[in-house]
Amino acid sequence: MTSEAADSEVQQVLADPGWRRLHPVTPVLRAWKVVAVVLVVVAQQGLDNLLQANLPGWILLLGVLGGLVVVGIVTAVYSAIAWRRTRYRIDADAVHIEQGVLWRRQRQAQLDRLQAVDLVRPLLGRLFGLAELRLEVAGGAGSKISLAYLKEEEAQRVRNALLAAAAGVRFAEGEVVAEAPQRAVVEVPVPRLLLSTLLSGLTIAVLVVLAGCVVTVVLTRSVAPLAGMAPGVLGLAAGFWARFNNAFGFTVAESPDGLRLKHGLLEQRSQTVPPGRVQALRISQPLLWRRADWWRVHVNVAGYGGEEGSGDDCTVVLPVGTREELARLLLVVLPDLGTGTESPLDVVGSGLTGTGTDGGFTASPRASRRLDPIAWRRHGFRITDRAFLARSGRVLRRLDVVPHERTQSLAVEQGPLQRRLGLASVALHSTPGPVSPRVDHLDTATAAALLAEQSVRARAARAAAGPERWMARGD
Amino acid sequence: MSTDAGEPFDPQGVTWQRVSPRLTTARRTVLAATHLPVVVVAVVLAALLTWWIVLAAVVALALLAWQWWLVGRQVPAWGYAERDDDLLVRHGLLFRSLVVVPYGRLQFVDVEAGPVDRRFGVATVQLHTASPGTDAAIPGLPPEEAARLRDRLAARGEARLAGL
Repeated sequence: MTSEAADSEVQQVLADPGWRRLHPVTPVLRAWKVVAVVLVVVAQQGLDNLLQANLPGWILLLGVLGGLVVVGIVTAVYSAIAWRRTRYRIDADAVHIEQGVLWRRQRQAQLDRLQAVDLVRPLLGRLFGLAELRLEVAGGAGSKISLAYLKEEEAQRVRNALLAAAAGVRFAEGEVVAEAPQRAVVEVPVPRLLLSTLLSGLTIAVLVVLAGCVVTVVLTRSVAPLAGMAPGVLGLAAGFWARFNNAFGFTVAESPDGLRLKHGLLEQRSQTVPPGRVQALRISQPLLWRRADWWRVHVNVAGYGGEEGSGDDCTVVLPVGTREELARLLLVVLPDLGTGTESPLDVVGSGLTGTGTDGGFTASPRASRRLDPIAWRRHGFRITDRAFLARSGRVLRRLDVVPHERTQSLAVEQGPLQRRLGLASVALHSTPGPVSPRVDHLDTATAAALLAEQSVRARAARAAAGPERWMARGD
Repeated sequence: MSTDAGEPFDPQGVTWQRVSPRLTTARRTVLAATHLPVVVVAVVLAALLTWWIVLAAVVALALLAWQWWLVGRQVPAWGYAERDDDLLVRHGLLFRSLVVVPYGRLQFVDVEAGPVDRRFGVATVQLHTASPGTDAAIPGLPPEEAARLRDRLAARGEARLAGL
């Protein structure tokens, strides 16, 4: 290609009115982030060293401030250059983004592969009315596309346009796409969230640590060991805080674009998971929630799992809910469980609390009690027309649900003890995430039949599954 | 192998392909290359310093012998079978596992061969789906069989590709 041709191509692209820029305040926000990190590091690590340097106070203060200012200016200038060289464009089929100062990168993501769209509003961004838009396209770690930062209204507009385009709704250039109407499904009240956070396994850890503290203080007759406990206590407090902060004001809503989640105290996150993007679902109940009959729901969404440090931030679809709320949520996430004439709630309910062959489940044989004396009665599975349900856990109750068409691959495993007892475990492989469905210790004949039938069922369900562009269904 | 219908590791109507016995040689070569230097060093040190360092050599030799024997048993336990819609991969003796990978779920296929593998003319075909749990690798394939399998899987994957 001659340089002239390349130039004309570049010109053409530059002339394209579709290209847009991020918000001009972006470099300031980024610079502030870096300064804040440096400040924290200096405060934690360098304070002692600085104080030992025996310098007059004003020189010290001036030095630190000056250093921070220099760091701030350098990052702001760099971010400004980066901002100038970043632009994005959305058409009916893909999102295009160009970025990078020294190493240029152009990325194009197909909209029919869009797995989820998150609108994240960090604390500082909220002051400026800015938000970050994150697109998950399930290409493994680092495949996320981040548009940071956009004006909030623009971020919402872009999100609506993306979802409409991904759904297969065609719209004209420059047309403003209205947000799909949404209907509230579940709202988690703050008092319940607080109580449920206190009733989690973390509390047990705190009690154990406290008991340890008291014992050491009594034995050693000094409070010195308490100082040693401080980091542990801080860590636990941070754990509580992270959970509370993330799940604060949790609302679940339903819209034609799919599941909508909104949550967060300091950093607010609005997630949209289009229909058919939930790969697997886990309903679980910690021991202390049993009295209140509360449940927590996690999902696997391709793209969420591949990101580092994503943790609970985006895979929880219900941090704590009653059984009635759980039923409403299930209707949105998996509208058709394919239970035929039975009520889906009864089937799920027997999976949540049942043992043995309750509710049509196929259970582990008696022989498995030697391998798992506590929970062996809970191991079991049930197959409906649309989904696979795997039940397990006695102390921490669990029920995994996988739609047949979302099964990636299957495996059957057997260790030497299982072999002697005539048992085998079956695993269904799902995309990366908190849910990894498996049924332990089945009778070998049952496991063999399950493996053979499930691969046929998954294939049939895949063939019948709707298109990736969910609004294009029924065309 | 039992032909019982209830045997999960031997589904009915499946003819298993075995991997090349050259894999045994390749793996044993790697074992020898990692263990024997330890033995030599231990013996030399024992001669120079104190005799009981010889025990390290004995342990290394025992480990080598055990793994040598284990490789001889494990390699024939690998098997794979191409069915109409999915690929089966089976391995392990003590801890057995069988993975069923539908062609339509394949995201990509790797063919890998290290220096020792190349010397003995074997390669590994690794299948990847969207799930990290899919542990389906077939080691010890002759390079031409690996290439054939790769092309075959790619063609079938394309024909049956669905969304996630």
